[in-house]
Amino acid sequence: MIERTNEQWIADLTGASAAQTQALQDLRERLQRGIFYYLSRERSDLAQLSAQELTQMAEDLAQDATLRVMENLDSFRGDSRFTTWATKIAVRVAISDLRRARYKDFRLDDLTAEDELLPVAANLNNHNPLPNPESAAERSDVMTKIDSALREALTDRQYQALEAVALRGVPLEVVAEQMGTNRNALYKLVHDARRKLRSSLESQGLSMDYMMDLFQD
Amino acid sequence: MLQDQLDKLLQSILRAHEDGMDCESCNAEFECLAEQVAAGGDLHAILPAVEAHLMCCADCREEFEALVTILRAENGGLTSKLTD
Repeated sequence: MIERTNEQWIADLTGASAAQTQALQDLRERLQRGIFYYLSRERSDLAQLSAQELTQMAEDLAQDATLRVMENLDSFRGDSRFTTWATKIAVRVAISDLRRARYKDFRLDDLTAEDELLPVAANLNNHNPLPNPESAAERSDVMTKIDSALREALTDRQYQALEAVALRGVPLEVVAEQMGTNRNALYKLVHDARRKLRSSLESQGLSMDYMMDLFQD
Repeated sequence: MLQDQLDKLLQSILRAHEDGMDCESCNAEFECLAEQVAAGGDLHAILPAVEAHLMCCADCREEFEALVTILRAENGGLTSKLTD
């Protein structure tokens, strides 16, 4: 495979057909190698797949990634190696694909209809019994305040987003799609929710350190 | 499980920082930062604002770590194969 400078990559990918064809092939193969390495070494959730299946997956993802690179060629700033920038795009393509597959049956409305924080928290003392009733009462009191803060300080949308992303670990892009927004906007929504919650709790005299210590097992 | 959820909520609130980069602005820095980190650089020293975002955003953290992993593998000649 030819080693290219950034300028050579751009020139070949946008140039005459023969050079472009070779550059596209080289790019696709390079991205495929990186994706294959990641899928086969770093993704324990794919451990059940055969080498052939992983190879096909990497090939398909590399093809998609190469198309995405070509669509966004104008946005390459030249601050890094071209191949690093292209690999960044490939990583996003691959991980997004895996997220969508993993959460294909996820429904945000189902999540917020079940197991709200208060019923969960009300059982906390039953599952983590403390040595004295004063500590148990203190926990219950703080949990009530946390639950009130969740309901009063946050909008319904913020509550829903915070629960899905921060508590349940659902990927931003999965939640964003179901909330009719984009990943970046959702991140800001969740971030604002966290800050409001923290501010609300601190205004009631509940510091983070105090709460972390109180609920330590 | 219950304790785990409570811990997640408290940790999530604890990490809420006043100044913050969002996902898009962080992602724009990934390729430069990943090259430096893959070569042994310390993200905290290079661009702490990105590190702060990665502590709050599991999605961006996953993608950044994947990129660094691949770059390190390439640097070490470990991605020479298209298949296993």
